[in-house]
Amino acid sequence: MLQEIGFAEIRIGKPFDTFGEAGGEKKARQFEVFGYPFLARKAG
Amino acid sequence: MTSETPVDPAALREEVKSKYREVATNPHGKFHFHTGRRLAQRLEYDTSVVDAMPDSAVESFAGVANPFSLRPLERGERVVDAGSGAGFDCFIAAHQVGPDGRVVGIDMLADMLARSRAAAGQMGLGNVEFREGLIEDMPVEDGWADVVMSNGVINLCADKRRAFQEIWRVLRPGGWLQFADIANGKPVPESALRNIDLWTA
Repeated sequence: MLQEIGFAEIRIGKPFDTFGEAGGEKKARQFEVFGYPFLARKAG
Repeated sequence: MTSETPVDPAALREEVKSKYREVATNPHGKFHFHTGRRLAQRLEYDTSVVDAMPDSAVESFAGVANPFSLRPLERGERVVDAGSGAGFDCFIAAHQVGPDGRVVGIDMLADMLARSRAAAGQMGLGNVEFREGLIEDMPVEDGWADVVMSNGVINLCADKRRAFQEIWRVLRPGGWLQFADIANGKPVPESALRNIDLWTA
């Protein structure tokens, strides 16, 4: 979707175990949910 | 609803408001996600910066990853935080861009805006302001921002394409989108995607 809109230089960083030890951990593990940083640039 | 918006956007927005109003008014309540300083540490924010902040600036933080980890902001940059919540990422951004930069936080919740404005005042930040608005229709002029950031917000938008198109509008050519969000490695059943109660559970 980002590429379709026109973003370039797209990068995805390392996963964070966002829900580890939190109430939502069980559901997060079930669907392998992690938090990620994303970077993209609007073409100049 | 469409294939890209499996739930009603307005109904989802009300559900999100209800959940995050609770985070704003009762930050130490029981949620399915971490909040505050413990979360900031888990997401590897710069502890020297976070430790210097008052509790009021940190305790309602409810992000999902670290939007500064792939690219720290540069001095003097103009930054929009789409869905700024209680303002935590805006305060980190204000530290990074310095007094010649500008940070504008956008949020739809009056309770979050009140918290973030009070914390900014407490810290004496002159380069941060908060405006009421939606990520799909931000009160920012075309091409104003060097950077648009967001943390844990886009996954709560029913129409993600519209959200990204709006981010595109407020960015200057060559500007950066740096956001943090959740992603699942295993597919979520269609029935769950259409269950609005599960979007914020």
